[in-house]
Amino acid sequence: MTASQTSFKTRAAAALADRTLKVAIDRTTATAERKRAAAVAAFPEFAAARERGEAIKNHVIAHLDHYLVMFESNATAAGAKVHWAADGAEARAIVTRICRDAKAKLVTRSKSMLGEEIGLPHALANAGIERVETDLAEHIIQLAGEKPSHIVWPAMHRTREQVAELFKASHHPPPAAADPATMVQSARRELRAKFLGADIGISGANFLIAATGATCTVTNEGNAELTTTPPRIHIVTAGIEKLVPSTAHAFTLLRLLVRSATGGELTQYTTFHCGPKRAGDADGPEEMHIVLVDNGRTKMLADEFRTMLRCIRCGACMNHCVVYRQIGGHAYGGTYPGPMGSVLTPVLDGLAGARDLPHACTLNGRCAEVCPVGIPLPTLLRAWRSRSWRERREPRALRAGIGFWALVARRPTLYRLVSRIGVRMLRLFGSRGWIARLPLARGWTRHRDLPRPAGRTFMEQYRANQAKQGARA
Amino acid sequence: MTARDRILAAIRSALPRSRPSPAAIAAEAAALLAAPDLARPKLAGETLVEAFERKATALGTTLDRVPAMAAVPRAVRRYLEGQGLPLALALQRTSALTGLDWSGFDTHGDLAPDETAALGLALWGIAESGSLVVHSGADTPILLSFLPLHHLVLLREATLLPYLEDYADRLASSDSPRNAILITGPSGTTDIEGSYVRGAHGPGFLHVILIAAGGE
Repeated sequence: MTASQTSFKTRAAAALADRTLKVAIDRTTATAERKRAAAVAAFPEFAAARERGEAIKNHVIAHLDHYLVMFESNATAAGAKVHWAADGAEARAIVTRICRDAKAKLVTRSKSMLGEEIGLPHALANAGIERVETDLAEHIIQLAGEKPSHIVWPAMHRTREQVAELFKASHHPPPAAADPATMVQSARRELRAKFLGADIGISGANFLIAATGATCTVTNEGNAELTTTPPRIHIVTAGIEKLVPSTAHAFTLLRLLVRSATGGELTQYTTFHCGPKRAGDADGPEEMHIVLVDNGRTKMLADEFRTMLRCIRCGACMNHCVVYRQIGGHAYGGTYPGPMGSVLTPVLDGLAGARDLPHACTLNGRCAEVCPVGIPLPTLLRAWRSRSWRERREPRALRAGIGFWALVARRPTLYRLVSRIGVRMLRLFGSRGWIARLPLARGWTRHRDLPRPAGRTFMEQYRANQAKQGARA
Repeated sequence: MTARDRILAAIRSALPRSRPSPAAIAAEAAALLAAPDLARPKLAGETLVEAFERKATALGTTLDRVPAMAAVPRAVRRYLEGQGLPLALALQRTSALTGLDWSGFDTHGDLAPDETAALGLALWGIAESGSLVVHSGADTPILLSFLPLHHLVLLREATLLPYLEDYADRLASSDSPRNAILITGPSGTTDIEGSYVRGAHGPGFLHVILIAAGGE
């Protein structure tokens, strides 16, 4: 059963009941939160850098056509072939056509969320091409037949014991022990021959540099360079919002990206890939293809979700999200989980199937606080809620409830009367300051108590207070 | 209409009709890089060497300082023997390295898939981050920096740059190589339960041999 065939509530309930999952999520997100805080504390200029990062992304978005054309012209001059894809289907068709034309049997892939977004893994399988994921976490989830549960740590939902089982079943020879170091060595051995034997290497891009036509990848493992150097063809798939004017602009954003993602300052490898192998070069692919993918991005440019195009995919919003940290990434059901995913999934998959996501948010604002490019995520989530209301996608009981509330709220005398009755009724269900069970509100009281209200409404107390002060004066 | 036309048309219809000139856009982009010190960290030392060394070693890179190029084979021997390795290594085919006296070593140019050690030359070092810069080229295979378990890199003190932006300037004023790589510490991963493990796919060990200024 795939995630999209079940409802968000079912998936979230299953995730909440999974103790192992909670342990796995806590281990990674808690470390990420702590390391990010330390990295930001050690960089007093972070706030200024963040404003600049936001301004750079806004600048690019405001001149997106200009920079796309500039990038295309410079990448072409460097010898790359630039392709354009309006949606996922077009992007998949371009990539599989290049693979087929090259008679490719084995493709290595360096982690790319855009690749997941456009369904590239599936498309390659359908085309009969062996695909080997080379990022360690992607290797783990490929063996498990799963989707990523986090945009930076795709396998963070798996404990080391679960990883050991997967490796034991599929590595030749199997790893000698179940500690992370031995398992990493085993994956290194297992994948080395694949890197060197691949016909095509596919990567994503963290940035597209308009001034040079280069694509930039950042990794800690070194798998991007091992994926893109030995094969005859290198294919890049990238969203059109990844553009930056120049290498220097990319560096401003890299300082924010890495600190926000892992708490490091730079990843171990930051690589600018500019065209194919030059005449005389010791190694490198003979062809480089870059697929520029829209897939909903121009639609976001035109509506209230434009600021979401600033996203640099660091994952800080999910690491700091109280909901994500309870249910993990798979429960969200889309390519991108957490707060940024709850904004993007309705764009990519439609609001009809994703209506629950913008609602599964406490609006506590932690995501916006840590976002390195200042995306107002709670505002965007509220925008989806309003759209869902306007499109009449809210459940009937909710619509009726809010309709009734609006009816009363527009009539102050009636509103005060109803609330006076309400607080007095509510007090009947409480004892020692808390309400443990409440009819019609079991969904709330099953998991937590409601504070018992004060004996009188705010307006009653306010009036009494004013009268007392009036008497004193 | 091609996908390209459709995408560009959708962008243009979402943006204001009257648009600034390319020169005005370039000026706006340049202004976003003005006064860079306000938005970047201070160097971690008084001198470039001190800052570089502090950042690089914090990431697990080891460092050996030698007075002159002629002392490099001795430093390489010191490292390999310290690691209990045979005196064998792949050598980047650049005259600065192949011209040194390697007697007593088994040096080779071709890389084995499971190469134990390789020595390359960094074009620049970056003090801000402790990074080494490698560009692909006729005598610089990119795989030399990724296949070996032990990656040894020669860095000349005179090529240390303060900030990432200083390197961006160098890159902008030359012909872009196919690959321009900033190497910042040995390969690592935190993909299994967030535990940090070195040597994920690239080198598990990164050793810098720093040539003193004037010793080139």
